[in-house]
Amino acid sequence: MKNGFRQSMAWLHTWTGLLVGWLLLLIFMAGTASYYREEISRWMRPELPRSSVSTEVAAERAVTFLQHKAPQAESWNVTLPDPRNPAMRMFWRNPESMVKPPAEGEKRRRGGGRFGDATVDPASGEEVAARETRGGDFFYRLHFDLHYIPVLWARYLVGFCAMFMLVAIITGVITHKKIFKDFFTFRPEKGLRSWLDFHNVSAVMALPYHAMITYTGLVTLMFMYLPQGVSVAYPKDEEAFFSEAFARLADPADAAEGSAAPLPIQQLLDSARAEWKGAQVSGFTVFHPGAANAVIDIYQRDGKRLSIDTPSLRYHAVSGALIETSPVPGGATHTRGVMYGLHLARFADWGLRALFFLSGLVGCLMVASGVVLWAVKERPKHAKAGRIGFGLRLVDALNIGAVAGLPIAFAAYFWGNRLLPLEMAERADAEASVFFYAWAAALLAAFVWPKRLMWAWQLYLGAALFALIPVINVLTTDAHLGVTLRTGDWALAGFDLVMLAFGAMLAYCGLRMQRWQPALSAAEKKRRQAAALAATANAAEASA
Amino acid sequence: MMLLALTLNFSAFTALSLAMEKHQLDLHGKAHAGPARMRLWRWLGWALLATAFGICVADHGWAAGPVLWLGAMTVSGLLIAFGLYPWRPRWIAPLAWALPVLGLGAAAL
Amino acid sequence: MDSTPDASWFNRFGGFFDRPWLGVLSRSLAAIFGGYALAATCAMFFAVALPIARAQAVLTGMLVAIVLCACAALWAFATRTALRAWIGIAAPTALFWLGTLALGARA
Repeated sequence: MKNGFRQSMAWLHTWTGLLVGWLLLLIFMAGTASYYREEISRWMRPELPRSSVSTEVAAERAVTFLQHKAPQAESWNVTLPDPRNPAMRMFWRNPESMVKPPAEGEKRRRGGGRFGDATVDPASGEEVAARETRGGDFFYRLHFDLHYIPVLWARYLVGFCAMFMLVAIITGVITHKKIFKDFFTFRPEKGLRSWLDFHNVSAVMALPYHAMITYTGLVTLMFMYLPQGVSVAYPKDEEAFFSEAFARLADPADAAEGSAAPLPIQQLLDSARAEWKGAQVSGFTVFHPGAANAVIDIYQRDGKRLSIDTPSLRYHAVSGALIETSPVPGGATHTRGVMYGLHLARFADWGLRALFFLSGLVGCLMVASGVVLWAVKERPKHAKAGRIGFGLRLVDALNIGAVAGLPIAFAAYFWGNRLLPLEMAERADAEASVFFYAWAAALLAAFVWPKRLMWAWQLYLGAALFALIPVINVLTTDAHLGVTLRTGDWALAGFDLVMLAFGAMLAYCGLRMQRWQPALSAAEKKRRQAAALAATANAAEASA
Repeated sequence: MMLLALTLNFSAFTALSLAMEKHQLDLHGKAHAGPARMRLWRWLGWALLATAFGICVADHGWAAGPVLWLGAMTVSGLLIAFGLYPWRPRWIAPLAWALPVLGLGAAAL
Repeated sequence: MDSTPDASWFNRFGGFFDRPWLGVLSRSLAAIFGGYALAATCAMFFAVALPIARAQAVLTGMLVAIVLCACAALWAFATRTALRAWIGIAAPTALFWLGTLALGARA
């Protein structure tokens, strides 16, 4: 471009940010919420057990349940309870022969009856009857599968946005001339200057995070985005790539004839723990349970390591012999594992997780302040012309609908969880619809009237919806603050408290939007000063 | 331990910000803005950052340690830039002295 | 008599391409499609060229390609003309592709 390097990078930064900013807000907000998806899921299913039992007891109960419920399955998979998630998830795969076509009029089950799943209370060994909801997984899926469109398209779209975001980050750093000098600079109450400072500081203070989350996000789906390397290096056997690229155990052998009773699960888990010198077990998969050559894969819990690939061991379920250990990962495999692991942050303990969550929120603020900043900068040009042009009006509407409208949608989702009838059909889908109806309403209202007061109203509405969630909680469940604070259930109590905090924050923003006064021009300031002086002079004369 | 790392990062950033003319002038005026003093703040700041890094790694290993260090910097920096400098600049120096002591106390317990 | 082609028609045609938005469009296409092509061919080249285990080479190629795509976007808008944007992206892409063909044939 005829402009200098910095200028063209500034131009690129503006447009990569603006074109995908609103979708990025959705992705960022849903992704940030996903850091606490287990806790959100727990809050959204208050019927779930809150007690905890030892891993051994839980594993035993799981095996007993599966032997009763799915004795003929080809494989069982159990995720043992952990501090963040006290219930057990289990999946099983039925043999082909068992799959029946759905009865007349019955909705076809996802997986066609091939797969089964259950959530089990480890204390009682019984299946949990909790309200049907997608819980926090809704946000997790939303941030890369979006909704209402085919998953493949969504992932390409999200990847496209992520690439734009990566370019926006790099160009942002290039454009920010005084990145070190202005490291701590934030000057409030100064209009455009303040918005720019806010955008800069929120971007720079969490810059390692923003760059990491964007790049690693692309890495998590890179097999989909860049499959060409695989096809060119493995022209006839792409399957081989996937078994070599991940430090996983090989596919197990098919079931053999004859059946035998497997060793007690406790014994098998103990062997694994001994082999790992004390590391915890996160779950296990049993292949061909009940067969003479049944094997069990035992997975290690994420601990201090960053990589998403945790070691696993394969034991012969009947003899207890160690058959296979997961291979040591190659350099690139390990790198990819660490990238993936950093993105999901499963390794994070409560303190680090809070920091990740905070950084995610800062990312949302960075994107939001960016799109608002553009409108603030554009407006004077339109003020001169006397009317708001199409572009600015569109941006104003999208800004309100996304920055203020998305919080409304998030809060509405939680309202839906508490208020929708428990026995409703397709309840989980209905909850998701509540999210989108609320967002659509906010967007529509924003397009109809994209003015400052609409900002304030939507922010206030979001504030009210968030702040009232703990109240609704009291009215509809027994897992409210009165109980959870007393029992020290910090996941559930924390959720309610964070809702209150969001409510307060949004209310504050709404207040500022409502009370904002345009900056006075120099001429106007002089005029008001002169008028004030004249008034005091008159008053002095009158009293003299 | 995490609290100590966090508070050390806070103080480190305070020191580094004071090493910048703009903030030093805002807070203490020209008298304290000589080049020698600025250099002192800069060295102190980097030293504190390095110490915080050491603590993070010692406590959480080479994997999660650096991640924690970066997160601690983020939260300290935000507190200083968005909270303290614009609204309560007089609190910065006292906090920078007091917080690491608090952190040490929490770590010792 | 002037033997050059009809001057006014030719100039008007060339003048059309002076519009700034066409330059932006051209660079954007180079950044998006050219950038992706560069990333894809880079991934392919690394997959067959790196002297390490096949799977590791493929993975490395993918990890690097993502960064290269971002660089292509920066290049497309930093260079002086739209033509340079295209050449700067197309040339390495072609080289990667030819290299892949050459090395892939051997494998």
